[in-house]
Amino acid sequence: MNKFLKNIFYLLPIIFLVSSCEKEISVSLSDAKQQFIVEASINQRFQSLNYVFISKSIDYFNPDLSMGGLKGASVFITEGKIIGADTLYTGTPFQMIDIGTFPGADSLFKGFSGIYFSTTLIGKENTPYQLKITLADGTKISGTTFIPKVVPIDSLSYVVKNEDVNKDGFNDAYPTLYFNDPPEQNNYRLARYNNVDSLMLGWGSADSYRTFDDQMINGTQRVIFYANQFKQGDTVNFYLNSIGRKEYIFWQSFGTAANNGGPFATPVQLKSNITGAIGSFTGYGCSYKRIIMK
Amino acid sequence: MQLLHVKKKSSFKYLLFLLINSALCYTALAQNKPAISDRFTISGYIKDSASGESLIGSTIYIKELKTGGVTNEYGYYIISVPPGKITVVYSFIGYKSKEITFNIKQNIKQTILLKDANLEAKEVIVTGERSDRNVKSTEMSRIEISGEKIKSLPVIFGEPDVLKAITLLPGIKSGGEGSTGFYVRGGGPDQNLVMMDEAVVYNPSHLLGFMSVFNTDAVKNVEIIKGGMPANYGGRLSSILNVSMRDGNNQKYVFSGGVGIIASRFSAEGPIKKNKSSFIVSARRTYIDALIQPFLPGEYKGNGYYFYDLNAKANYIFSDKDRLYFSFYIGRDIFNFTSPVNKDINFNIAWGNTAATIRWNHVFSDKLFSNTCIIYNRYDLTNKFTFGSGAAQAQFQASSGIQDWTLKSDYQYHFSNKHYFKFGGQYIFHTFKPGIASGTVGAVNFTDEIQNKYAHELNIYAMDEWQISHRLSINAGLRWVLFDNVGPYTQYQFDDNNIKTGASQSWGNNQSIAFYTGFEPRFAANYLVTDHSSIKASFTQTYQFLNLATTSGASFPSDLWIPSSETIKPQLAYQYALGYYHNFKDNEWESSVETYYKPMYNQIEFKPGTRLFFNQNLDAAVIQGKGLSYGIEFFLKKKFGNTTGWFGYTLSKTTRQFDELNNGEAFYYRYDRTHDLSLVVTQQFNKKWSGTIVFVYGTGNAATLPTGRFAYRIGYDQILNQAKFVFIDLYDQINSYRLPAYHRMDVSFTYMQKKTVKWESSWNFSVYNVYNRANPYFIYFVPDIQSQTIKAYMVYLFPILPSVAWNFRF
Repeated sequence: MNKFLKNIFYLLPIIFLVSSCEKEISVSLSDAKQQFIVEASINQRFQSLNYVFISKSIDYFNPDLSMGGLKGASVFITEGKIIGADTLYTGTPFQMIDIGTFPGADSLFKGFSGIYFSTTLIGKENTPYQLKITLADGTKISGTTFIPKVVPIDSLSYVVKNEDVNKDGFNDAYPTLYFNDPPEQNNYRLARYNNVDSLMLGWGSADSYRTFDDQMINGTQRVIFYANQFKQGDTVNFYLNSIGRKEYIFWQSFGTAANNGGPFATPVQLKSNITGAIGSFTGYGCSYKRIIMK
Repeated sequence: MQLLHVKKKSSFKYLLFLLINSALCYTALAQNKPAISDRFTISGYIKDSASGESLIGSTIYIKELKTGGVTNEYGYYIISVPPGKITVVYSFIGYKSKEITFNIKQNIKQTILLKDANLEAKEVIVTGERSDRNVKSTEMSRIEISGEKIKSLPVIFGEPDVLKAITLLPGIKSGGEGSTGFYVRGGGPDQNLVMMDEAVVYNPSHLLGFMSVFNTDAVKNVEIIKGGMPANYGGRLSSILNVSMRDGNNQKYVFSGGVGIIASRFSAEGPIKKNKSSFIVSARRTYIDALIQPFLPGEYKGNGYYFYDLNAKANYIFSDKDRLYFSFYIGRDIFNFTSPVNKDINFNIAWGNTAATIRWNHVFSDKLFSNTCIIYNRYDLTNKFTFGSGAAQAQFQASSGIQDWTLKSDYQYHFSNKHYFKFGGQYIFHTFKPGIASGTVGAVNFTDEIQNKYAHELNIYAMDEWQISHRLSINAGLRWVLFDNVGPYTQYQFDDNNIKTGASQSWGNNQSIAFYTGFEPRFAANYLVTDHSSIKASFTQTYQFLNLATTSGASFPSDLWIPSSETIKPQLAYQYALGYYHNFKDNEWESSVETYYKPMYNQIEFKPGTRLFFNQNLDAAVIQGKGLSYGIEFFLKKKFGNTTGWFGYTLSKTTRQFDELNNGEAFYYRYDRTHDLSLVVTQQFNKKWSGTIVFVYGTGNAATLPTGRFAYRIGYDQILNQAKFVFIDLYDQINSYRLPAYHRMDVSFTYMQKKTVKWESSWNFSVYNVYNRANPYFIYFVPDIQSQTIKAYMVYLFPILPSVAWNFRF
């Protein structure tokens, strides 16, 4: 809400100060020290969303605008068991293979690099996982996560209004999602993907994200509106994920960092849950539903 | 002197007893010492003859004795005189001096009416004794500006502004355009105590900082103390800004006002009972919302923003001994927004201050003057958000704020012209309202509340000003402060992941949660080198128990005030200042050089990325560290003549150090300003025309800019057939980058169309930013895919901006 308010307040002076202006300037910054970056995901529903992305940070004004993925790492994910207060990772490690080594991957997935993938790994609900990475230079990175119990999407509904605000030739449609928050503490990351197809290659394929917990709604029905208009006839996919608290804290800080900018920007530190790199290993308890707004 | 943190209150009563006792003993002792030469007193108020408005800081000079005094902040004076014939000269800047010969046989009460020199038909040369207060008093780091002076400065949009005016003084820095936050000697904007007729104003800005809450039509006098704080002031680390509002004309009805580009002002004042009581009501409202309508695209119509202020004041003179004042202020900013794309989305946000003061000036005897106040003040923010329609409508309401009740009493005892004593105390009951939210989503209702916090704040002070010899004067004071954060309150425990563990601790009504007390010694000395020059030194120690929770440099209406608590320790600062003062040409010119050194402790920051709004565990997000500021300030001022004005220059350095930030290394404060320069020159060309030119220069603000970046949240865009991701910035050193320097020149001309006692009409023509300098508001970066580069853009707010305003009075 504060972020939201801030955006409004930031807009406000600009609304009436027609006189505000901008110009391009040159800025010289000191070089940053390079850091390793890891984005790792595991869920129990979609295999295309189980992957590990490894990269290295670059100087801010480096003209390289690619993903900057790192090749040649050995990457393993191991399923664990909770016995009493201990978590043991005794299962057979799944090796994740660099997608670039698959024949024809270059033309199939343009611009992808540093993505590690397994054709056999699929997660389980209520299960811990361990990630172990050894980079080509010998650097070791590790982390753990947990796929929480799935909170199912109860239902989806939509209204089609007899108006066309953005004048795209279609009536505007608005979807709504309902789910019941269970009594225990829950954290969610909800992704929305507008496509006739449900296949997402990476969580970044989605069109919008919401990371929230149940602080104000614990144990009640939760209704989620979408304010931006969709076209009548659109198909919208919803992925309601339960995630762990550490992962929630990471994605919260990520949301702030990704929307950072403007006069009131403050440096945001990502709250990583892995060691040896910046980033997160996130287990998603994924519930999926789609709606066609005819 | 260390701060005690004790849980028991018994020591408090003991201290109180001790302090009162010692104060009384001191008074008794001092009274026993008879002053042989100064047996009688002359006392009373000095007022404007036309309006009856009391004149703060008027000088009283006894020709035969070559000593005198000044009126206090209520326009009251006391001087001691020997029996026999004496001649007293009363004067005030811009007024015709008055000379009165008394034959002293007893104590005399004499109210003096001075005439505004500008109203005289013939050219009047203001004679009489010019004030040498800046050289002779122990006060340092203190500046006063009158409401009239503020009005003569060039302004943006034709709106004169108190907070913009004070940032033209040395040692006081502005946060830049779009900010009325001011920074005194390296302190934050929350370390300034801003008062309007003694009521605290927690958020002194309108329009997100573009304007301040003070309607200059109603302002009589502005006093700012940036160091060497006398013991009667405290509560904030850095400065005291004391804005006195006008009392209203007690002779006749006067209506005045102004029409500017974005706002209009109107005031009505007059006697309720001539010579006995008067009132003033001033109002101001912006009409940006109405003006902007024609320029808004169709779907934005109906959206708007406006603010208004209302000041009301009345006073009644019961007798020479008793005078009662009532002041009231309310101001609101209102912002209404309906989404242009979806009419079902609506916001309504309102915020502002409310204050009311009842004040009683009482003269106990010819030697003892008192001022007692009961004050209520509040700042609050409410926002309403509706979304959707029909059965699926969601409504959300949230509010937050702070509220104080204050009782305050100050006494001034006059021993002789060379010696006076002040003592008093203040009690404040604070209510902190961090947030209450309620809403309905479809058929579901919910309410969530962050518990209110309560605190008692108490302080007692005693201070003695004594001219020991012709050359040496001292002002020594001691202030004792107490802060008690009390229940009812329930503290929930949170684990490392910020989730409630289920455990909690509760405090009952008025039960102490965190208790702090401490002494604040104050000392100032003045040594007269010659009759026109002096050396002054001062020491100030201050505690601050209130903290502003903000994560950015700008002030937002949603910023919260939070009290010192078990985890948040009170802020503490020491300030050492040394200065040399010199007046030239019969006090026509004043000059000074001041240096200061100011270490600050328990400064507040929040862990990066902390959510302030509706955070039940906000205390845990606070980190505390140290600050240090030091610098040298030069000031040259010409007070009289056709050309007046001042030049100020400050060379300073301000840093902060937090163990949790910047790897524990000290970093520049955001508003650290190595060089800060201001020049203000006013020229009276003739009786009709006057002009003012202002030039300011300041080193750019320190900023944290990203040094690295990386791709994250990867995916695949099936339509564009390419990888999809966002860039996340990496930061290294805090505030290691400097924005370009800030400089600007403004010019204004005032045309006095007509000025008589009956009717006054003037035009103000201002040009802001004459040479169209692009001063940085903020910098942002955009990756340019086409050229494969990252581009930097600087946003600046105000280019050259002419404006015109018409002011009237009848």
